[in-house]
Amino acid sequence: MSSRGGKQKKGNVTSEQEEEEQPLQAVLVADSFNRRFFPISKDQPRALLPLGNVAMIDYTLEFLTSTGVQETFVFCCWMSNKIKDHLLKSKWCRPTSPNVVHIITSDLYRSLGDVLRDVDAKNLVRNDFILVYGDVVSNIDVSQALQEHRHRRKVDKNISVMTMVFKESSPGHKSRCEEDDVIVAMDSKSKRVLHYQKTQGLKKLQFPMNIFQHGSDEFEIRHDLLDCHISICSPQVAELFTDNFDYQTRNDFVRGILVNEEILGNQIHLYVTQDGYGARVSNLQMYDSVSSDMVRRWVYPLTPEANFTDQQGQGCTHSRHNVYRGAEVSLGHGSQMEENVLIGRDTSIGANCHISNSVIGNNCTIGDNVVLDRAHMWNNVHISSNVEIHQSVVCDGAVVKEAVRLNKQCYFSMLPVSQVVIGPNLSLPEGTVVSMHHPEEEEEDDDDEFLSDDQEVGHSKDKTRQKAFNPAEVGPEGKGYIWKASMNDTEDEELAQCLWGLVLNPDPESDSESEASEESQDRSRSVSPEIDDVNAFQLEVLGTLQRGLEENIVCDNLVLEINSLKYAYNITLKEVMQILTRVVLEYPFQQQGTQLTTLQYTGSLLPLLKTWSPVFKNYIKRAQDHLDCLSAVEELFLEQDTHQTAMVKVLMKMYQLEILEEEAILKWFSTGATNDKSRQLRKNQGLQKFIQWLKEAEDESSEEGE
Amino acid sequence: MELQAVLMAAGGGSRMMDLTYNTPKPLLPVGNKPLIWYPLNLLERVGFEEVIVITTKEVQKMISTDPKVKLDVKMKLDLVCIQEDADMGTADALRHIQQKVKTDVLVVSCDLITDAALHEVVDLFRAHNATLSMLMSKAHEFTETVPGQKGKKKTGEQRDFVGVDGTGKRLLFMANEADLDEGVVIRKSIMRKHPRMHIKTGLVDAHLYCLKKSVVDFLADNKSISSIRGELVPYLVRKQFSKSTNSPKVIDETHQNLKKNDSNVNLEIQISSRDEELLHLTQERSCWNDHRGDMSDAYHGGRLRCYVHIMDEGICYRVNTEMSILPWSFSAYYLFTDNILPHSIIGASCQISDKTSIKRSTIGVSTTVREKVKVTNSIIMHGVTIEEGCNIQGSVICSNAVIGRGADIKYCLVGSAQRIEPDGEHTTMSKACSA
Repeated sequence: MSSRGGKQKKGNVTSEQEEEEQPLQAVLVADSFNRRFFPISKDQPRALLPLGNVAMIDYTLEFLTSTGVQETFVFCCWMSNKIKDHLLKSKWCRPTSPNVVHIITSDLYRSLGDVLRDVDAKNLVRNDFILVYGDVVSNIDVSQALQEHRHRRKVDKNISVMTMVFKESSPGHKSRCEEDDVIVAMDSKSKRVLHYQKTQGLKKLQFPMNIFQHGSDEFEIRHDLLDCHISICSPQVAELFTDNFDYQTRNDFVRGILVNEEILGNQIHLYVTQDGYGARVSNLQMYDSVSSDMVRRWVYPLTPEANFTDQQGQGCTHSRHNVYRGAEVSLGHGSQMEENVLIGRDTSIGANCHISNSVIGNNCTIGDNVVLDRAHMWNNVHISSNVEIHQSVVCDGAVVKEAVRLNKQCYFSMLPVSQVVIGPNLSLPEGTVVSMHHPEEEEEDDDDEFLSDDQEVGHSKDKTRQKAFNPAEVGPEGKGYIWKASMNDTEDEELAQCLWGLVLNPDPESDSESEASEESQDRSRSVSPEIDDVNAFQLEVLGTLQRGLEENIVCDNLVLEINSLKYAYNITLKEVMQILTRVVLEYPFQQQGTQLTTLQYTGSLLPLLKTWSPVFKNYIKRAQDHLDCLSAVEELFLEQDTHQTAMVKVLMKMYQLEILEEEAILKWFSTGATNDKSRQLRKNQGLQKFIQWLKEAEDESSEEGE
Repeated sequence: MELQAVLMAAGGGSRMMDLTYNTPKPLLPVGNKPLIWYPLNLLERVGFEEVIVITTKEVQKMISTDPKVKLDVKMKLDLVCIQEDADMGTADALRHIQQKVKTDVLVVSCDLITDAALHEVVDLFRAHNATLSMLMSKAHEFTETVPGQKGKKKTGEQRDFVGVDGTGKRLLFMANEADLDEGVVIRKSIMRKHPRMHIKTGLVDAHLYCLKKSVVDFLADNKSISSIRGELVPYLVRKQFSKSTNSPKVIDETHQNLKKNDSNVNLEIQISSRDEELLHLTQERSCWNDHRGDMSDAYHGGRLRCYVHIMDEGICYRVNTEMSILPWSFSAYYLFTDNILPHSIIGASCQISDKTSIKRSTIGVSTTVREKVKVTNSIIMHGVTIEEGCNIQGSVICSNAVIGRGADIKYCLVGSAQRIEPDGEHTTMSKACSA
């Protein structure tokens, strides 16, 4: 850097040339910020998961290096030490490496946005850089895209901030990730992105008219693009992330730029490659397809036998039908490796096995009569005899005992985490997940807003040990916990989607519908209102209180949280109080259903009031606040007219807890009545008595005072 | 006979009233030929021997009697007259001649001047067994000033949005900007079938269509459609992607029942061209497919298909506004005959005096041009008298007008039988009809 500074002083003549000469930089984000690979990623960061017996981050680095990147910043968050160790041992950190790798770790990154804001803060990039994730597998030569990008930036000064790299692949293609099912509207001539949208779950695609008013008369709408998650960014991108702290993902960024195009004047372009390969392993579905593409040599020259990581003993031979064998592989009598099989070193396979479309790691032992199809086995796996495995991922150190069947298409069974033992004599249904981690450990963490691979769970280790393994689930000698057995209820399905990404659905969905019905749908859709801020705020408050109760959070913290929500949803103080009152009073209904008797209702409500009284006190201070609170109480009991008798008790309790003052209650009682119903309410006997009592108490106190 | 040609020549030319005041639009002189000659010539060149011409009584009368209107075509013209005041649209006209339609039809508008290779359109129609195939062209920009109009062409005109697939042939989407308040809305299922859609604006629709006979029958049943371009074509384009009621057998059975019942459902069934059985069989046995990327049948099993041929180069022009007549009038005729482009075209029995200069202009039959007159870039129609010393530039002078001595006319439109006062100077104004 110092030399660069020196050069610049020489004058402007050289500066332009020099810009070309500046080393190409890349930002590699070695964290996914989601938990698609959970629970595998609990022990191993996603970037280090093996794909074709090579850690995924190595593919990404190889891609960057081969495309001419000379300086890479690797940002790690979850399990950064492991990534660091891996990289330090790899060829990237040797002095001869053409690509200088800097590792930057922080536990504070929660999203891509945080990473790029840090890039900006540390002022790491000086010129256009390539932004990739640590799980991108690609052989695309981006130099042309880079050239186009630079040309655009030169022609019209810094207007284009990003060039996204796409691969052409028609819908329904195997390597197309349903989550990234995007539709792009672009200007045919300038390759400018005009509209970018994920289509998942949409039936109709809408393109606003303003995107067609850019002077060009030819536009293209493309649904045949696969997002490679490789983007060429100008340094402005990092700055824009800093300026817009709400940008979390690249998606946010792209949408933000496109929407604010007229204001900021920034544009995004795209580059489409026809023959390159590029995909991000964003879920297990993609893991399966990328892995099989790898073995089938689509990612040439990144093939298994190339040993591009340059590690001792990783080499293997390539023979026909894409069968790869590492060193010291022993294959029993009568065993067949049909096609597309990769076997790591020191693995031994018993007799009469049938192996096809599978990847087997190093140091595995496989018994006799084993059938493997589309199985992905990592290192040190032990498979006993008579086992059948279809479309499954078997992780490091797992043991599969005799006569186990891991089914089957559609979903995978996965045995993540070392030392899981399965069987013998067991058949696991589709989509089973077995882990040494107990699922419940997870639930405790679920509340965290930032779902990421990087949850620290250590504290519950002991608890886990105490829970017994269920022999019905994992077999008599099994060790491990079932995460989810089947896909029966919808909740599981959601989870499965989360783990696996969405399943490719070959049936175009809306075909069967007539136009008329679609139109009517449209209408109904437009009518249904969105949740407005007040409702959303109410839900949030409810959630906060619930959590507060479950986790015993101090009231001060609850107040803090509600305050921050207040700002987030732009709610006035008066509304906060009304909503808070309403939420608390409705809490018993919320928890136990609306069929409560009045007695049960007050029984559960009164202790709550006591617990939360500090919260109330924080918001109810002025005289007007008291009246507002009372009117909120009144409003609620007008709605819940069967429980009107409980109102006295509530008011009494609030009075005793010094939430409400007696003058306020009296004032409310005497003046607050505006309509018949509320007058009716005030005629309630209990309430009358309570007021009477209050008045007397006041008299007494005033007498005392005299 | 594979195709029957139908020429639509009944339009009143509502957008060029000044010109059509006493000459009906089909007979407006363009390059000293009536406008209708150009589409007729187009049809004749590709080998049609018979044309059904839908026109008005007035035009029919003029064609048969007026010596100035020489059509000069060898084809057999089957003139069908419709009432002028009935306000019939093009689809109405097609419905009117349904009895005469025995096969698929090729519909041409009378105001089309093109050197398009017609077979391109017909080939699309044949190759894909299409329901509709049409012709479009990239729009031309005019730089010349238009007579009778101040300033250049108005910007912000409503554009047509035409969506075609990756090959640029299949017509997937069609809408006018005026109807797109909520933006362009496209169903995802269409995008799945045709993942790459080009949206083009700035195309000229040549109003030339190949239509299946079933479409004409459909029109006969569905009286609500009155215009081909405005209603029928968008309807067909839309219908491509709505679910058809499947297998041909079912259709045949339901066909009779439905005839009695709901005519609305009937339409859809009729309109989806029923592939002949053999054709169906070939498609089944063939490995040919019209698309890549998925494993579904050719055309995704759809029976209704619309195609468009978009001309990249060549001339495709519609004379439907006043300003559109000028740029083409001069060169058009010569594009369709092999004559060398001359300086000007002078009609028969004209009297042209000495010392006149006539450049890049057409002068109609029986016109008198006196001495020292300068005419450039203009159209002078039949029977016009131009007195001495006039200067006419970029203008259209309609029939029987008299231009007074020494008048200076630039970018004007002079209505028929008008008298221009001597020594007047006129620029960019419209001397409309005598009324």
